Amino acid sequence: MAAADPAMTADHGPASGTPVRRKEDARLLTGRGRFVSDLALPRMRHVAFVRSPVAHGRITGVDTAEALEVEGVSAVFTGEHPAIGPVAMRAQSALPGYVETDQPPLARGKVRFAGEAVAAVVATDRYVAEDGAEAVVVDYEPLPPTVCAWAEPAHPVHDEAPDNLLLSRTFRAGDVDAALADAHVVVDRELTTNRHGGNPVECRAGVARYEAADRKLTFWSGTQVPWIVRTQLAELLDLPEGNIRVIAPDVGGGFGVKAVLYPEDVALCLMAMAMPGTALKWVEDRVEHLLAATHARDHRYVLRAGFAADGELLAVKADVWCNAGAYSVHPWTAGIEPLMAGGLLTGPYKLADYECTVRGVATNTSPSGPYRGVARPSTVFAMEALMDSGARALGMDPIALRRRNLILPADVPYRMPSRLVDDSGAYEACLDRAVATFDLHRWRGEQVRRRRDGGRPLGIGVGIYNELTGLGRAASAGPRMAFRTGHDACTVRINPDGAVTVFSGVTSQGQGLETTMAQVVADALGVDYGDVEVRIGDTDQSLWGFGAFSSRQAVIGGGAAHLAGEHVRGKALALAAALKEAPVEELDLRGGQVYMAGQAKPIISLAEVAKVAYLQSDRLPEGFEPGLEGTKFYDPIRGAFAAGAQIAALEFDPATGEIGILDWVCVEDAGRIVHPVIVDGQIAGSIAQGIGGAMYEHLVYDDAGNLSTGTLLDYLMPTAGEIPELRIGHVSTPAANPTGVRGVGEGGTLAPNAVVAGALADALGVEIDDLPVTPARVWELVHP
Amino acid sequence: MKITVTVNGERHRLDVEPRRTLVDALRDDLGLTGTHVGCEHGVCGACTVLVDGEPVRACLMLAVQADGASVATVEGLAGDDGTLHPLQEAFSRCHGLQCGACTPGMLMTAVHLLDTDPDPGRETIRAEMSGNICRCTGYTGIVDAVAEAARRRVTSETS
Amino acid sequence: MKCPPFDYHRATSVADAVDALQAAGDEGKILAGGQSLVPVLALRLARPAVLVDVNRIPGLAGLERRDGVLHAGALVRHLALADQRQHPLAAEAARWIGHTAIRSRGTLAGSLAHADPAAELPAVLRACDGAVQVAGPSGTRRLRADELFVGALQSALADTEMITGVELPVPDAWGFAEFARRHGDFAVVSVAAARFGERVRIVVGGVAGVPHLVDAGDLATVDGDVSDDRVTLLAAAAADDVDPASDLHGSAGYRRALTEQMTLRALADLAGHLRPVREPA
Repeated sequence: MAAADPAMTADHGPASGTPVRRKEDARLLTGRGRFVSDLALPRMRHVAFVRSPVAHGRITGVDTAEALEVEGVSAVFTGEHPAIGPVAMRAQSALPGYVETDQPPLARGKVRFAGEAVAAVVATDRYVAEDGAEAVVVDYEPLPPTVCAWAEPAHPVHDEAPDNLLLSRTFRAGDVDAALADAHVVVDRELTTNRHGGNPVECRAGVARYEAADRKLTFWSGTQVPWIVRTQLAELLDLPEGNIRVIAPDVGGGFGVKAVLYPEDVALCLMAMAMPGTALKWVEDRVEHLLAATHARDHRYVLRAGFAADGELLAVKADVWCNAGAYSVHPWTAGIEPLMAGGLLTGPYKLADYECTVRGVATNTSPSGPYRGVARPSTVFAMEALMDSGARALGMDPIALRRRNLILPADVPYRMPSRLVDDSGAYEACLDRAVATFDLHRWRGEQVRRRRDGGRPLGIGVGIYNELTGLGRAASAGPRMAFRTGHDACTVRINPDGAVTVFSGVTSQGQGLETTMAQVVADALGVDYGDVEVRIGDTDQSLWGFGAFSSRQAVIGGGAAHLAGEHVRGKALALAAALKEAPVEELDLRGGQVYMAGQAKPIISLAEVAKVAYLQSDRLPEGFEPGLEGTKFYDPIRGAFAAGAQIAALEFDPATGEIGILDWVCVEDAGRIVHPVIVDGQIAGSIAQGIGGAMYEHLVYDDAGNLSTGTLLDYLMPTAGEIPELRIGHVSTPAANPTGVRGVGEGGTLAPNAVVAGALADALGVEIDDLPVTPARVWELVHP
Repeated sequence: MKITVTVNGERHRLDVEPRRTLVDALRDDLGLTGTHVGCEHGVCGACTVLVDGEPVRACLMLAVQADGASVATVEGLAGDDGTLHPLQEAFSRCHGLQCGACTPGMLMTAVHLLDTDPDPGRETIRAEMSGNICRCTGYTGIVDAVAEAARRRVTSETS
Repeated sequence: MKCPPFDYHRATSVADAVDALQAAGDEGKILAGGQSLVPVLALRLARPAVLVDVNRIPGLAGLERRDGVLHAGALVRHLALADQRQHPLAAEAARWIGHTAIRSRGTLAGSLAHADPAAELPAVLRACDGAVQVAGPSGTRRLRADELFVGALQSALADTEMITGVELPVPDAWGFAEFARRHGDFAVVSVAAARFGERVRIVVGGVAGVPHLVDAGDLATVDGDVSDDRVTLLAAAAADDVDPASDLHGSAGYRRALTEQMTLRALADLAGHLRPVREPA
């Protein structure tokens, strides 16, 4: 997967579909990236948070006197500080029965999880700030902690929810009990999935500076959602929205963890407002990240499925508990995981009779939030476990059973039992190509050979999934929040010299959106990729964007970029036509030159047109405004389902539990592909995170609510030594949006749980109910 | 404490607290923010630099320990005219980076790997790069990039 | 995650280091490779008043084999230990430590003094019945491996003492096996096996507070016999002899099973190295 030379685009062919050199690479490869962690401002001070060592307790006293004596400490803030005290964050949803709860920027009155920020120390540098933080004395009166979301609550986390239930909803279609009664076989599974999290290589980071004279706040933040952050901050800080500038420059990975407005963010801004003119910087360290950045996937599924004798899936009944942690995550609410779980549990399978009750349960653990694939790595594991159990009960081939139930092209648009409308139907195509690429026949043969001749038992696992991407206003699968995230804006500006600056509402944490947007605009407008520069992540530069989540940006931001590019192309051609007195319908813009139909030589350059538009108004024809730019919004209204199938061969050593991945194939329908290498990179990276979650990553709390995996010595992320060579293929069915793309950022994470667990069952005949699949777990299953 | 460190060929005199790590001195005292901080406990590899030619976790070395040493960081890889180092070039061609946070550590680890083993196989590359965590790429592009840089170097040396 | 403040003393000699440690009372700490100490400091789990940097003390990085024993200086880095050919078991074990950027700094004596029961080199020292040379305020002393390791992360070294040299008898056959979660991780269980004459010493790491020397009774007298049957019996004996605790990375039963499997692998490795290692000419 080698990218081409930039010269490849010099023939003025389309940039989309080709692996152009990424715009981001030159600075990121040479150490010239601009990350928030790198930012240094004059007279900047550094912040360290004091964090709760107890999971649940009343704060009976905070003594900051000693901390203020530490040389270099300039201020200490607590939850009761007048600058902090009046403010509370409250994730809102109109969902019936949802219990709204407050989250203070710094704990007030009580602490609800180990790692919650209780106080903040401002000092000359981070070393001194940590010295100060160590000197803050906080007294706690412990309360009994609740760690498990499906155990009896020990003591309410929030008074408003005495049973810790923040939200519950039942998805219902048809008559599930009747369908189960009619089933030829009924299978039951009880599954749990392992809490883990994003752990981008750059942790969270923020710099806030407030200018009191004009009441303006600038917040540099490693966020995926600068516009959402701005809106929320305006409300929380009581500032006009236009007075807040949020800048997300280079961001070192996000994966959902940075799509959250955190209490530390709000505290940092409030402290900056209390210290006008002083820039305050907080860079989260890894221990803080593991403790207090959002976690995910701490779920339990109690499942029952009924199948007909021919394998038709007749009914699924499910009870789901999602551990929401101590606070309803802002702004997504505690509904983010349970609602996605209930809405998409049935995945790519046709089903009429469905009943699924999902719950978001508060516990004394770090809040759960969005993490790549939101809930679906767990639901795909659950659904594929039912398929595998069903196949065993029916004596059917597991892949044949899946085929029997897949949503096919003829079924599309397919209304899922959760009432989401699936526009894909490419599942079987993905599965077919995956099976062929994998060479299932050969691996089955190897499996038989090993069973006969000895050798490590080999299993084949499969996972098929749909991925709801690019959600438009009508396709929301999440909680009913006060905003809909269906649209993004893009401004395309042709500069006086004819080069193009794009102000896009997308944000990038490694996805290469500068590149992708440049490709889309270059083609829509008719200029070379090299002549397009893209500015993203700054609320003062581009008009609007909801940011990076739900694999939405290529679809929605890309759509806006395409529309804006076309719009400005129209304007440029109209002006060219007027200037050259040529019929506009016979003009074409390619490679920054305007051509007349049938003529080989351009009649005028875009640069010349732009010069007139900006600098030579005396040449402007009647009725033309100066300037050459345009802004467009795009909303796909519905979403674009992406499809995918993964299949892999794994071997297991029954004596040690050792797991070896021998081959791993993934085929996805990402729609039309703008940058093939970036798309494959997204898929490979998401599979790797999925494998991490399936086999290595586990945030473990002890019964007292202490995080037992608080460093990277215990929280294990896979390295180049663990991730296998991945074979990635494509089925490209263009989606019904301006660029034809389907989102691609998350799909890869969805299958590995199912694939690894399925392979284990296939190899050793043991069903694994609790993830992750570790050597120790494998050994325990084989030696009960 | 006063120390002298040569970074990418340039000599610097610094006055640092003994507890200051080398990576903090590079980033905050010298403004060389190309070297990144990922975990500060020696696991993730993001801060890997070369000290007197050997790869080192700059979060586990105190700046005072580098007194008199020669440090190579990512900022020194490209030529003064902006020409990318062959590994940087390969990382770009093979999509060996996404967000760029692990990239400086990956590059410095790979520079040392190819200095000691000019023609490593993919398995060796995977083993030797396994001290550096990347959260974005799934490592495919990184392994491709190191392999390609090695191949190009071997080819250019034998032609 | 920033270290708490401390003073720093760059020692110029062993005597200077010992003096500095003594001056610090029980508040001094030796900084060698720093690969274990600096994380502990960054987590503020320790707050020594003085770090005594021994890295620039001359003469402590030597490797010399004399009379069947590898004499290694305290500052021999893991990379150097992995590269030397005079003690193949130590070389093999060193290759399992972390990653190149860890091995480039980490030192043999530092690893032994840190006394992590899951670390590779303590297991090797014990398997080879090695010893360390220690310098302190009242002179030098020699501690055998059995005496050095007291408990998890606890050695018999006083706060004012430092290891200056390591004696590693060279076995005439050896084997090493390790099971770790990921490439370069600390072992869940590791096994070092060393044959001296007719006795095999098997040491298991990761199953107790100190590297565990397996008491295999008469089975350990192999007299050239490392047949499959004997290996199987020894591995079972090793599994029987350990009493591991359960933790995040595995139950006691699992660690016991790994002990058996890693012993099998280490002894198979040993059987493959049966030709005696000769003194280099």
